[in-house]
Amino acid sequence: MAKEIGADRLGDFYKEGSLVRKRREWRGLVDTMYDYSKWLGIMLTLGKFVAKPRNVKAMFRYRWMSNYLAVPMMVDRHTQGLRGEYLRICHTEQDLVIKDVANLLDSLFRGDRRIGNDKKFSDKVVLVDENEMTAVMMGFPDLKVLSRETPSTYVSVLLNQYAACHYIDVAQEYGLAGDVCPMPEAEAGVSIDDDAPILGACAIQCNTTCDGSLLGNGVISQRLEHEDNIPVFQLAAPLRHREDDVQEYAAQEIRNAIAFVEKHTGHKWNWEAYFECAKRVNYATKCRQEWLEMNRTPYPQVFGSNLALYTETNYMAICGRVPAFEKADKTITKLARAAYAKKKMAAKEYRHRAIVWGVQSHYYMDFLVWLLNCWGIVPLTDMLSMVSTKEIAEVDTPENREQAYYDMAWLTENMIMRNRTHGGYKVLLDELWEFVEMFNADMVILWEHMSCKALDGMHGLFEEKAREKGIPLVWVSHDLFDPRIISRQGVRDQINSFMRTVMQEEPIDPSLEVLPDEKSW
Amino acid sequence: MYVFLHILKVIVIIVLILFVVTFGVYIFNLDMKLTAAIYPWLQKHYDKIDRDQHL
Repeated sequence: MAKEIGADRLGDFYKEGSLVRKRREWRGLVDTMYDYSKWLGIMLTLGKFVAKPRNVKAMFRYRWMSNYLAVPMMVDRHTQGLRGEYLRICHTEQDLVIKDVANLLDSLFRGDRRIGNDKKFSDKVVLVDENEMTAVMMGFPDLKVLSRETPSTYVSVLLNQYAACHYIDVAQEYGLAGDVCPMPEAEAGVSIDDDAPILGACAIQCNTTCDGSLLGNGVISQRLEHEDNIPVFQLAAPLRHREDDVQEYAAQEIRNAIAFVEKHTGHKWNWEAYFECAKRVNYATKCRQEWLEMNRTPYPQVFGSNLALYTETNYMAICGRVPAFEKADKTITKLARAAYAKKKMAAKEYRHRAIVWGVQSHYYMDFLVWLLNCWGIVPLTDMLSMVSTKEIAEVDTPENREQAYYDMAWLTENMIMRNRTHGGYKVLLDELWEFVEMFNADMVILWEHMSCKALDGMHGLFEEKAREKGIPLVWVSHDLFDPRIISRQGVRDQINSFMRTVMQEEPIDPSLEVLPDEKSW
Repeated sequence: MYVFLHILKVIVIIVLILFVVTFGVYIFNLDMKLTAAIYPWLQKHYDKIDRDQHL
């Protein structure tokens, strides 16, 4: 019960065998009242959502909807130990993401043939993958771009670590291999389990990140096209995205996707709307670069899950299409500048500056906060936040209209995860060490997503380079969406052992070293 | 004036009661404890729904 950062034993909030924690933190009067007011805001958002009968109906129809009971707890997990500007940055991001997801759910159920069955609305909907850059929809302001996989699997696992397990099991019962990435496997499982809303004039799928993703898309598109009569476009973006000779092909894929949407919705591409979005994309890039610049100094400000979760949403799912995110960018930058000017720190002690690389454990996204609070390790940036920093054309001219196809193709090729897991060893291996130098990092934390073949193949090369550079590197194995394979404590134990044996250190907050959160959301 | 003060007093009391109740729910995590109690019941409900489960 303290105002000061790091004065609480954060592990004491957990209760053995419980889904939830004992109580919320007292952060001093001002910060507690701020957090309380934001909690009230979240309750209001949820209240407005359940006030619509169709959303209640959906709650009782779709199994994954039960995970949304845990929304306030997700925010609590990410705000653990935070005070002042860091708490405000986290709320600015998370509260906006919650509103955006609530809007997404509301729209899905409005058009869903099983729930709202609003045919006129459904005819304006274009479905996209969860892990898909939405750049290709920047010039369709009157269409609704909705992802069914984002709320059913991606967000669900952020809310409840076990959210995807049922769907992974369903997919495997139907013969899908058990060693593919559990993310596309769970997405396919939702479709097999007949648990996806049915709506839309058409859909765009993308050869997102890997073979597992292609497998999942195949299962989903089969049902969409042959049973639900929703035509699907396969946007095949080149994997060797840094090569000049693939860019013309990539741009042509974008032209084809736009033509497909125009054909199936009757809506025409709007250049004015596109360039408005392009301005916002550039503004988001500018802000992210400023945050990363700060993170190179001894006083990093927007880092850890504050950087990772927001970048994933803003860069890929939003892609300039929602003006509210521009406002959030401004607020976050203002807060970060204020904290930086006062040389503020998010924890009482910073012991190590780490680059977090690889694909992070989705069921333990607040691990980055834990690293900071337990061991004083500052996760300066992570692989999924190191996305394109290229400025795209934002002025409407005939030349820029042609350039726009290449820009949209570039963004699609450089969507989160894919821009590092594909494109050659330079983007995955070499650039890690460039970032280590750039950010003055003294440690690398390497997620080993055990079902990700693209990354596992590079294991030895990472170790070889770490030895050559003399940088301590710790592997943290996990199975992305499935905590039954490696639990959250299993993830923590890998860091605990490394810190005690290799680094010969004691934790800053020993109460966090072992947590009874096996059954927790 | 008396009526105005009386109304103000009632409003202040209502706001205070609302604050105490909601703050109690917030700090003791009662909202999450309630939803945690609902969650297992919902899972049983989903198990009973007929689904067109296939590849």
